[in-house]
Amino acid sequence: MELLIQQLVSGVATGGIYACMALSIVMIYQAIHHLNFAQGEMAMFSTFIAWQLLQWGLPYWIVIPLTVAISFSGGIAIERIVIGPLGEAAVLSHAVVFIGLYAVINSLASFIWDFTTRPFPSPFGAGSQFGNLISNQQIGMIAVTLLVLALLYAFFRYTRVGLAMRAAAENPTSARLAGIRVGLMAALGWGMAAAVGSIAGVLIAPIVFLEPNMMLSILLYGFAGAVLGGLSNPAGAVAGGFAVGVIENLAGTYVPVIGSELKLPIALLLIVIVLVFRPTGLFGRTIVQRV
Amino acid sequence: MTALLNVTKLSASYGDFRVLHGIDLTVERGGVTALLGANGAGKTTTLRALCGMIKHSGDVVFDGVDIARCATEDIARLGIAHVPEGRGTFIALTVEENLRCGAMTRKGRASIDDDIERAYHWFPRLKERCGQQAGTLSGGEQQMLAVARALMLRPKLMLLDEPSFGLAPIIVSELFSILRKVNEQEGVGMLIVEQNAALALELARQAFLIETGRILISGSVTEIRDNESIRAAYLGY
Repeated sequence: MELLIQQLVSGVATGGIYACMALSIVMIYQAIHHLNFAQGEMAMFSTFIAWQLLQWGLPYWIVIPLTVAISFSGGIAIERIVIGPLGEAAVLSHAVVFIGLYAVINSLASFIWDFTTRPFPSPFGAGSQFGNLISNQQIGMIAVTLLVLALLYAFFRYTRVGLAMRAAAENPTSARLAGIRVGLMAALGWGMAAAVGSIAGVLIAPIVFLEPNMMLSILLYGFAGAVLGGLSNPAGAVAGGFAVGVIENLAGTYVPVIGSELKLPIALLLIVIVLVFRPTGLFGRTIVQRV
Repeated sequence: MTALLNVTKLSASYGDFRVLHGIDLTVERGGVTALLGANGAGKTTTLRALCGMIKHSGDVVFDGVDIARCATEDIARLGIAHVPEGRGTFIALTVEENLRCGAMTRKGRASIDDDIERAYHWFPRLKERCGQQAGTLSGGEQQMLAVARALMLRPKLMLLDEPSFGLAPIIVSELFSILRKVNEQEGVGMLIVEQNAALALELARQAFLIETGRILISGSVTEIRDNESIRAAYLGY
């Protein structure tokens, strides 16, 4: 029983990482209706920026807002320079550009900061709670993820800009006819996704350590969480992220064949199962259209 | 006093394929102009060109401003509300969110809330469904939503693309009586594209008949109605 509780808690804790990532994936999906493969690398790059700022001796409470601001501008720049000109090109064109971005950002980070694995200081200190069951870092990460989720929810649900962004993503033509600046909304969506990604990166880095490939498997788990919870629903994606963490941990502990080596395929298996049996995800809304 | 919308020598093409060959048309202030013609004559293309949705050339002057080279969103901001072919519903948003999208160019929460109430007054059915996802509405309700959304812009000019398309006759007459009220009570100018010529001519004061991208005949509705040969050949009633 104790083992089960321990595995559940540690599953939720790892799930917090995936939930962070899933949230930033869904965020950008809401704004542009594409899955951005470079999302993880954007988050990694932001985390390196935060690390660099810390190295230069800036305090944490300046580094975080500065990193978020830099990432926000970076996201907008990527949209303006690379994605915007694509316009309404086919899905595959977007996929190719995302893969290109992935490679460019990954190489750029390796070029600037090389492949050395670096520790990243936790903003929440080193202690742990509940008799070493869960670290302060993990608790902080989960709390911040839920907070960001609540803020995003309020933004999209209750503000005019949030509504304009949803309208622009869903039906760009109609949005333009209503006077909404669709290009600006897409840029804003990229900026926000990059900002959320930078928060995810800074939260995750103390656990997985900082290096250019840190996000590779996390992105996969994040996709699994987002797909499981539903791409149309940020809260669902966060729940999905936690679920993936728990499932992965329990399967690794209780199914002897799986062990820790075969954990990653579980994420992939989850994606396949969900897409076959419930393509909108557990909490996704089915968008009904009568004709 | 100049017309609300003055179009001269408007040409437009899809890729290399030219659809409009220099058409002229006008909408008077507070007036209703009908653009009639068969399938493929270029009616929808005309509306799209006016809103800068496709490549076009020629002069388009709206309310004294040259809008021929403006972006679609800027044209909307000047006060032209386009109710597009296919209704353009934001299907994942609720009915009320759809209406709020229509008012995106405006400031002042209170006046927008008032206008939502006004829209519900025109279209009580939308009020019953205000929290419902717009994609679940019937075709007629979505058409009403499209018109209501356009009104949220507080437009000076509405471009209506086949508002009767696919609707039951009773809904059509309801919709057209509302359009007439909007025009008469609020002085909103309208350019209406219809295949149902009889219907459009009841509402309009001026009509333009378009065939393969050229204006064939134009004049007041009475002139067009009274011309037996036009009626028989082009309007089919």
